[in-house]
Amino acid sequence: MDLSLVQNLIRLSPEICIVVFLVLLFTLDSVFPKTRENKVPFILVAVGCLIAGGLTYWVSLETPSRFFYDTLANDSFSAFFRYVFFFSGAAAAYLSYGSKDLTPPNRMEFCLLLLCVIFGMCLMATSTNLLILYMGIETVSIISFILAGFKHEDLRSNEASFKYFVFGALASSLMVYGFSWIYGITGSLNYTEIAVYLQANHASLPVVLPVSLLLIYAGLAYKISAFPMHFWTPDVYEGSPTPVATFFSVAPKAAGFAAFIRFFLDVLTVKGETGTWQLMGGESALWFLAILSAVTMTVGNLSAIGQTSTKRMLAYSSIAHVGYMLMGLLTLEAMGLGAILFYIIAYCATNFGAFWVISVVSDIKGSDKLDAFRGTGWSMPVLGVTMTIFLASLAGIPMFSGFIGKLLLFGSIVKSGSFMWLAILGVLNSVVSMYYYAKILREMWLEGPEASRSSLSLYNGIALVGLAIPTVVMGLWFTPVLRFVESSIASIL
Amino acid sequence: MLSWIIFSPLIGAAAILAMPRNRENLVRWMAVASTAVPFLLCLAVLAKFDRTTAAIQFAQQVAWIPPFNIEYYVGIDGLSMPMLLLTVLLSFLCIFASWNIDKGVKGYFAMFLMLETGMLGVFCALDFFLFFVFWEAMLLPMYFLIGIWGGKNKVYAATKFFIYTFAGSVLMLLTMLAMYFTSEPHTFDLIKLAANNPFNTHTISLLGWELSMSKVFFIALFIGFAIKIPSWPFHTWLPWAHVEAPTAVSVILAGVLLKMGTYGLLRISFPILPQSTIWAADAMAILGIISILYGAYCAMAQTDLKKLVAYSSVSHMGYVLLGMASLTTAGVNGAVLQMFNHGTSTAMLFLLVGVLYDRAHHRWIVKPDGTKGFGGIAAVVPVYTGFMAIAVFASLGLPGLSGFVSEALVFLGAFSVPKFQVYVLIGSLGIVLGAAYLLWMFMRVFLGPLNEEWANLTDMNWRERFTLVPLTIMVIVFGVYPMPVLNLMGQSVAKLLTIIS
Repeated sequence: MDLSLVQNLIRLSPEICIVVFLVLLFTLDSVFPKTRENKVPFILVAVGCLIAGGLTYWVSLETPSRFFYDTLANDSFSAFFRYVFFFSGAAAAYLSYGSKDLTPPNRMEFCLLLLCVIFGMCLMATSTNLLILYMGIETVSIISFILAGFKHEDLRSNEASFKYFVFGALASSLMVYGFSWIYGITGSLNYTEIAVYLQANHASLPVVLPVSLLLIYAGLAYKISAFPMHFWTPDVYEGSPTPVATFFSVAPKAAGFAAFIRFFLDVLTVKGETGTWQLMGGESALWFLAILSAVTMTVGNLSAIGQTSTKRMLAYSSIAHVGYMLMGLLTLEAMGLGAILFYIIAYCATNFGAFWVISVVSDIKGSDKLDAFRGTGWSMPVLGVTMTIFLASLAGIPMFSGFIGKLLLFGSIVKSGSFMWLAILGVLNSVVSMYYYAKILREMWLEGPEASRSSLSLYNGIALVGLAIPTVVMGLWFTPVLRFVESSIASIL
Repeated sequence: MLSWIIFSPLIGAAAILAMPRNRENLVRWMAVASTAVPFLLCLAVLAKFDRTTAAIQFAQQVAWIPPFNIEYYVGIDGLSMPMLLLTVLLSFLCIFASWNIDKGVKGYFAMFLMLETGMLGVFCALDFFLFFVFWEAMLLPMYFLIGIWGGKNKVYAATKFFIYTFAGSVLMLLTMLAMYFTSEPHTFDLIKLAANNPFNTHTISLLGWELSMSKVFFIALFIGFAIKIPSWPFHTWLPWAHVEAPTAVSVILAGVLLKMGTYGLLRISFPILPQSTIWAADAMAILGIISILYGAYCAMAQTDLKKLVAYSSVSHMGYVLLGMASLTTAGVNGAVLQMFNHGTSTAMLFLLVGVLYDRAHHRWIVKPDGTKGFGGIAAVVPVYTGFMAIAVFASLGLPGLSGFVSEALVFLGAFSVPKFQVYVLIGSLGIVLGAAYLLWMFMRVFLGPLNEEWANLTDMNWRERFTLVPLTIMVIVFGVYPMPVLNLMGQSVAKLLTIIS
């Protein structure tokens, strides 16, 4: 379908909106340096994300299409992830004002960089071209290095940034090398053309294709922090300022999954009947993914048990959650992918909340260690109750959204009938995760009431309650979210 | 009607959380009100309950999550009615038994009421998903009730309870999903699943093995339920949780929560997987026997009064398992009756231990240093001793008190199955052991020369007597004339057995 330039640009309007606000913020910063001290940057990010969200809704009403010479896709799937990014962007900006980890001038820079990252993530989710995908990933990565090292004077923050950088450089060079192989094999960078070529010839590429896909997997695994590219996660989360870690734990992962799913579905599968498909490479490729999923969740959970820093604990737990989400790819049908998307929404609200609590507690107590949480449930009941909800949801206890996410993921595996062992491993893993989540609960509630009542600021209280409500509501009544997720997946099948 | 019963405690919990922190008595009376409402409603339900049918009564069915055919489907039959009564009664009495709680009063009663909603929901739910949600809804309140208001080792006990129960329920979750996706059309409806019975011909492949689906389901569900019952070898959480929990929570744990395991077997495993039930009957009977004897032997060795009662629960729940495994009318009726009777008699024992602990601040039969913990206190606390004697005799199965009827029915039922006769012979040793550890405890604590240390022990006050009198009446009445309870469940048990055979 040939589109005029204007039609193309309209389909890109959410991203353009973000760039406009980026420029606006930048100008504001140079012309009125005073805005650094007040809440203007945050308000601009929030307004920008809101308008971009509105534009997303508007363009998602168009019939799904590829634009800019088939390098970008406009469909409900892109829209889904754009909403997630805009929401987490605005939430991260909000959080940065409640956190002592960032000083006022830093907040301005944080908001600027945040908009850059959002832009990059949108590219990742919408791209159907390897080069654009690479640009998106690099935009996100490079800005992330800066964000991780935001506290210039803090040794750990510098270390985090450095580790992130070295790992990122390795991952993206592997990935871009893989891209070059694909280009060499197929003569194209566009998903559609690669898919056409591979579907005809994949059987005659026994070594080259698996190797190049392995290289690409390395890059994507780094972004979603799946085994074996997950080692940076705990160090970076621990060293980065908490608002940054919060953002990292949700949004770039969602972007990585968006790119992963699109690449997986567009390039690597042969569509069968409605809603099902075959994977190139067949059984062995599936086993490869299954084992990666199993190892990722197990490594994440087992490593989390021994942590004394809650940030590191949640970092490992986030690796485990990626392992669960990877299960959704194995089922080769729409329900599995829908489950991943649902999990992302549930995880987004829940994990944001859990990190937010850590941010509040470490601001008050000056530490994110487990014992800093002692008695906080009694001294700050709202914080305690919401954290209980978040942790229960992460562990997958019914009535909370995380349970529904797990229900859908395990359900899709059970439905497909193969890889039952992975489902069993998955539920056993959630028992393990229960153990270390309970450690935080124990510190908060069981170690007796604390004499002093510290108070939770209204600013943070609103945020926590605001994140707890969707966590509970989606756990009890998830039909609308399910419909939304299903339609997003349907648009890329 | 049922929905009001289920959710009125939850409404009460919300009201309590909204109350000011310093109005502790208001909170307590609010808790009384919020447990009295379901109690009275339940009596109304009982009055209208039709004993002549096995059909589901008072049903309410509303679509909840249409894409997955999940329904809010509640209703009761003869199996759930006795459990429902037990739950509302014990919850109501336990509010009075927790009058002395002075730390985090609001939180305690709110958690307690949430727990009650979860328990009532489990006994009313007829949709597997709903059942699972209620089942898990009890997890967090129980964790906090043990972990915050418990004794010395509360943290360890609470964590152990939490992990064990969660491990059991994730197996249930997988089975639930597999049942849903195997049934055509996909459904979580327990009644429909039982009617269609679709799992016998299917197999399930696990790492290359082809296993019979219904047997895998049965085993997975059984482990989940056996942890709750708790049957040997899944019982190790129980002594910890019971001993460390505050009195009222121990009562609820032993009186209601343990019954959920056996209730789950009767409600889900038996009717939906009848062939596998017959296949597993022997194994269940053997586990029942082991629990009876093992629990009794452990109880005999205890020097802590509460731990003794806790192990006696393991032993008594073994009878339930044995009766159910016999798959005879007498055996299953006996099992359900035993669930009810154990609920009342063990609640009495835990309440009484709590009464003593409130005064003496210890509950050693023999102190760790080898000296006697109590001795001869019958002389100073006659009323207390009287209640204790009734509870002990009911628990050990003295004819004329409730425990006798149900244990006799269980053995009668099991003995009528030829291959179980040897199990019955071994299992009846449990009665002797039961008499031994209970009477020995009674002797060492209450009889003999008065230990002067406790000469000033005060007898029970009116609040404590109020919690025990209803239970005592039930123990005596149902010991002499158990027909009201048996009539309640007779039709449903008969229907269950026709499904299986």
